[in-house]
Amino acid sequence: MLDFINPYYLQIGSFILINILLAVSVYVPLSSGQLSLGSAGFMGVGAYTSALLTINFDLPIMVGVVGGACVAGILGIIIGIPSLRLTGVYLAIATLGLGEVIRVIFVNWDSVTKGSIGLTGIPQIGRELLNLVRGFGFEPSMIGLKNNQFVFLMVFLLLFIIVMATIWFVVRQQNSRVGRSFSSIQMDEKAAESMGINITYFKVLSFAQGAFLAGLAGSLFAHVMGYISPSDFSYHRAVEILIFTVFGGSEVIIGSIFGAIFLTLIPEVLRFVSEYRYIIYGIMLVILMAVRPQGILDIHLLSRVKGLKRSKGGMR
Amino acid sequence: MVLEIKNVSKNFGGIHALRNVSFSIKQGEIYGLIGPNGAGKTTMFNLITNIFEPSSGEIVFNDENITGLKSHKITEKGICRTYQNIRLFSQMSALKNVMVGGHSRSSSGVFSSVFRTKAQRKEEQELEKNAEELLKLVGLFENKDLLAENLAYGQQRRLEIARALASKPKLLLLDEPAAGMNEKETDSLYDLIKIIQSKGITVLIIEHDMPLVMKLCDRIAVLNFGEKLAEGTPYEIQNNEAVIEAYLGKEEEEEIA
Repeated sequence: MLDFINPYYLQIGSFILINILLAVSVYVPLSSGQLSLGSAGFMGVGAYTSALLTINFDLPIMVGVVGGACVAGILGIIIGIPSLRLTGVYLAIATLGLGEVIRVIFVNWDSVTKGSIGLTGIPQIGRELLNLVRGFGFEPSMIGLKNNQFVFLMVFLLLFIIVMATIWFVVRQQNSRVGRSFSSIQMDEKAAESMGINITYFKVLSFAQGAFLAGLAGSLFAHVMGYISPSDFSYHRAVEILIFTVFGGSEVIIGSIFGAIFLTLIPEVLRFVSEYRYIIYGIMLVILMAVRPQGILDIHLLSRVKGLKRSKGGMR
Repeated sequence: MVLEIKNVSKNFGGIHALRNVSFSIKQGEIYGLIGPNGAGKTTMFNLITNIFEPSSGEIVFNDENITGLKSHKITEKGICRTYQNIRLFSQMSALKNVMVGGHSRSSSGVFSSVFRTKAQRKEEQELEKNAEELLKLVGLFENKDLLAENLAYGQQRRLEIARALASKPKLLLLDEPAAGMNEKETDSLYDLIKIIQSKGITVLIIEHDMPLVMKLCDRIAVLNFGEKLAEGTPYEIQNNEAVIEAYLGKEEEEEIA
């Protein structure tokens, strides 16, 4: 019974959700005109912080996750302030460099991070949740689920709630004085400043929010996987995260979400062509950038879809 | 005096963009800043809004020295400007552009924005209402949902004025607002600036359209090669020999004689 709750699908679903968080962590700084490639680095900071807190100090996972995200966010503020002078490609290169510095620290700080082997035995969210409900005298079998089905399902649902809350937060913020400030800085920094916008504050704010989200995604990643190593946060990851946002469309948050879902699914869907799948993935990116450099979804497309809906509504 | 420019100079490397310029603007007047291209008029605007800091001299606004104050602080104090080459937020609707103008007169932060507190909702409503009124004032209310980039050129100029007005300035700086406008548009611009004046807002305007300047301004300063050449009422300026010379050149006969 309930065989459709397949751990494999749920695991992919969980990865999609974590990738959505990462894509949004690129989208937020980008909404104020800052192209940050530091997401993989901030993700690593969140992951290691949370893993070390829970392994070494026996803290609950929730404390670890919040701690990991906050440490990444604070690092975002510290990095964000000197990076203010950099724009465009220069900021991208600087943040990419930052990510590499962080990764090299993880590799070489053996006594704490166990070097390139990475950390194992990180408490896993799913198991903790299972133990928690067992404490209340509940068994997965009572609703006809196997233990591992239940574990993967709980992880998926928890991540789903976190992602929904994040999207809710970002969308609400976007449609407000803060969001207007972000987009005005993105469109014309000088004019934004003449309108009384403190661009230092808002740029650091959006940069730090991106770092916080990446740290959050990283710490969740650590507690979903149960093991992490520096190579999880290498520059390949940084580029992958950037591609989610660029592919889906970086102007609108739905673009980042779509990009993360689509590009996480593609390698799985293409499993039947095994060794060719990354070639197909690459070709898709090349074609997209040639045909639609702004990404699949953009403001014009969305407003057309909205207009379509409205005119249909008028017909009725 | 609303604005006092005291012995302001600005050098870019070895070039003296402005040299010891002084003038002051009275409450409620329309003050014109004219002069040939490259005379330093826009530089003066950039100094007042502190896009650059002056090399020497002082800028005093309502008896307060604002030299070197950050641009966004100056806007908070009540000086707002438009740009010679229109700088709107092109991918935003006209309404949102004007709402951004109200930034310094509102205060919602991240928390109140995300949780839509009562104060935040009230503030947003007021910002929107105020923006709509300003759009009506400049005659763009029907276009409020259009993206700024899709507006006609003259409309964009008017939108920039509405956006600046949203910051509730005491002093409005207009940098060539009539540039590229036809006669009809210029006439309605004249009416608009007069209405702005009647609301108690002091206006400092850079403009090349001489008939407009002479009709509009209470007083005028003429800049030439970074120096103040003359200052006075439109009548005085029109009859000032140094000004005529700067604009039209010396008469040949005089040279020979």
